Amino acid sequence: MHRALFTPRGRILSVLAVGTAAALALAACAAPDAPAAQDGGTLVYASGDAEPTCLDPHVGGNYPQALISTQYLEPLVGRDADGEITPWLATDWTVSDDGLTWDFTLRDDVTFTDGTPLDADAVKVNIEHLQNPDTGSSTGYLAVAKVAEVEAVDATHARFHLSAPDSALLESLSQQWTAIESPAGIARGTDENCAAPIGTGPFLVDEWVPQQQVTLVRNDDYNTPDAGTENDGPAHLNTIEWRFIPDAATRWAALQSGEVNVIDNPQPDAIVAAEQSDDIAHIDAPRPGSSNRIELNSGQAPFDDVRVREAFIRAADPEPGIESLYLGTVTRSTSPLASTEPVAISDDALFETDAAAAAALLDEAGWTEDASGVRSKDGKPLTVRFPVSTNQSVAAEQSLFEQIQANAAAVGFDVVLTPMDLSSWYGALGANEYEAVSAPYTKVGPDVLRILYHSDGIVPAPSGYFANHAQLSDPALDALLDAASATSDADERADLYAQAQEIILASYTVLPLYDQQNHFLTRGVTGVRTLGTVATPTFVDARLDG
Amino acid sequence: MRIARWALARIGSALLVVWVVTTIVFFALRASGDPLEAILGGPGSQAGEEAVAVARETYGLDQPLLWQYLLLLGRVGTLQLGDSYARRQPVIDLIAAQLPSTLLLATLALALAWALALCGAIIARTSRGPAGRAVTASLRGAEIVATVMPQFWLGAVLILVFASTLGVLPATSSGADPAGLVLPVVTLAIPIAGFLAQIMRDSLAEADAAPFAVTARARGASDTRLLLHHTLRHASLPALALSGWAYGSLLSGAVVVETLFARPGLGRLLIDGAMQRDVPLVIGAVVVVALVYVVVLVIGDALELLVDPRLRRRTRTIVRQADVAVGA
Repeated sequence: MHRALFTPRGRILSVLAVGTAAALALAACAAPDAPAAQDGGTLVYASGDAEPTCLDPHVGGNYPQALISTQYLEPLVGRDADGEITPWLATDWTVSDDGLTWDFTLRDDVTFTDGTPLDADAVKVNIEHLQNPDTGSSTGYLAVAKVAEVEAVDATHARFHLSAPDSALLESLSQQWTAIESPAGIARGTDENCAAPIGTGPFLVDEWVPQQQVTLVRNDDYNTPDAGTENDGPAHLNTIEWRFIPDAATRWAALQSGEVNVIDNPQPDAIVAAEQSDDIAHIDAPRPGSSNRIELNSGQAPFDDVRVREAFIRAADPEPGIESLYLGTVTRSTSPLASTEPVAISDDALFETDAAAAAALLDEAGWTEDASGVRSKDGKPLTVRFPVSTNQSVAAEQSLFEQIQANAAAVGFDVVLTPMDLSSWYGALGANEYEAVSAPYTKVGPDVLRILYHSDGIVPAPSGYFANHAQLSDPALDALLDAASATSDADERADLYAQAQEIILASYTVLPLYDQQNHFLTRGVTGVRTLGTVATPTFVDARLDG
Repeated sequence: MRIARWALARIGSALLVVWVVTTIVFFALRASGDPLEAILGGPGSQAGEEAVAVARETYGLDQPLLWQYLLLLGRVGTLQLGDSYARRQPVIDLIAAQLPSTLLLATLALALAWALALCGAIIARTSRGPAGRAVTASLRGAEIVATVMPQFWLGAVLILVFASTLGVLPATSSGADPAGLVLPVVTLAIPIAGFLAQIMRDSLAEADAAPFAVTARARGASDTRLLLHHTLRHASLPALALSGWAYGSLLSGAVVVETLFARPGLGRLLIDGAMQRDVPLVIGAVVVVALVYVVVLVIGDALELLVDPRLRRRTRTIVRQADVAVGA
């Protein structure tokens, strides 16, 4: 239908159609129950993220997979906007006093879209799938790392035996990367399961034409809405066409011209234009987990000296850049955690700009200035290698880094920004060839702090990847993070994470910038909302405008 | 005999092209990162020791780099392109699915470029007097501007005007949808059109001044007849000879245009593959592009034979300097 809009006659028709619909809508006001928007139809979603090579988020586990799999796979538990865990495929759960045994009660009336029933065995197969090295899971694998075994007590009761207490288990299981798939689907093998994973979601994968689109059709037997959904039956839409439009300007043009109904990753100027527009709606849904921040590598010179780290942070002055480059669409953060995490704490005082103090700190640390403007110590220049992932840092962020580069140069830092593709960027980090880096990490809940700042996170995985880019190695911090992970008391947990954040912020290894930006623009559709878990959009309640 | 030598030369150059691109791509991809992560689920992979070891052995990554390179040459030489690391499907299937879309785009763009270039050359040729000189001068200007226009910029402007503002054409293109093809084809065609138009205008002017044209006019041939039967044919030869090259340039331009217009095709496949360090996919795509280029050059040669009868008549030497003899 959207295609007819491009011919002049199509435009007239669409005007007529809108007029007729408006008349019908007016008439509908008299009849109280009639919906203003229509049922059925095809919604077109345009993603700016890379097209996944596998539609099963168990394999690898990145954000593009989370986005699309939200439409066909569902996790055991959900999470509301306040950070409270809510029932989903599991209705109830209890944990033993030692925190090592979790009992989940499953819904007894759910079948996967291939007809396989959802039962405890299915849950067991899914966890084993995540933990099987052949699956190649990275995100989901980490999330269930402490699960030693799943025992199917009976059809609706799954018992998780843990190797160590894990206060983040529910948050981990709420993520799309640990969503539950049909065991029969998994049994088909990686290739087939990657092409069309089978879940319990409101849509199912009908066809995937690589480089073009994934066609998702309505699951007519859908009966598992999450706590935030209004609709208690199948989705209103018939079909979702999931397309990949890499260029941001093209994506925005496609939304304006009516080719697509929803776009993600809009540029700041498009967000501002959408805010001013009557027919385009804006959803601001920051990703959970870490904030976007610059981390300083404390594992080697010059940032092994806290004075040099503080000097960099005092000199960086990111705030004016954030304000101007993002056109006022983002807010400065001074927390290591996303603002959506209830336990996040901020400390503005630590990040106050003071170039004079920065210069004094560098003098004190023995870095002296010469005619070149770059400070040096023992003949070594004060160089900060800063590899920038062009996949993860949008244009505005790259410009922000350039402003920070200039601000830091004023006190004698030589910041070398190197734009890189994702593989080279991971390579540079793995080889320790960086002093500063921006590496956002998405995970539900404050446990992301353990992944990012526990000294265990300095040990690289066999692929070379490690998550603790600040290379913080502080036994007191490790102890707090371990204790927070082990406690089953919510208040104690929040307090431990608050203390941990204070240590992290005071270490001057982290310069928080803002939340991980995650915006959606919609046009000609209502009822789109994002999940409280990884902030992906769901279309169960979505209706196209009549 | 001549045909055989010609065919040998073409096949030889094809092999040379494939060997050179394979070598460059292999070392460029391997120098800038490890393909292991493409196999193990992308960058940041948490794959365990065991999975890494298995993958290294399965894909021969534990062998010396030179040996891996020789193995690769052997496979490419026997046209075994293997399976994609990231997608785990035969490379040949992935390419076969995307190639028609790119060929359609490039072929339409070449046709449009030719049409625009011909129009430009004919208008320049038939414009007389002070007004005509102004027209010719502005055509020259337009040709130069068109030639140097970056496609990513041109495409973005076209999208802004025709999709965002006027809303008459879609900003994206999927497959063979005619409305969707307009902007990508125009974006791709314009720089090449500028280039071909320059050549055609020059050679048309040259043919027009050649003795055979003077003779034809003296015999009373009208301008139209002269153009259609004599000079245009001459004028199109250099452009025809360069069309093979132009097609190659269109194929590489497709990388930008396909990404900009979110169009399926070989260019986007290539970009995705390079980003993921998917060595077999990138090498397969590049080899196929090289082969297409060679096929197009062969077609170009054949068309030249068709348009220029002198090439068919002369059995010994292929010299196109005989205009004087034809005229006299």
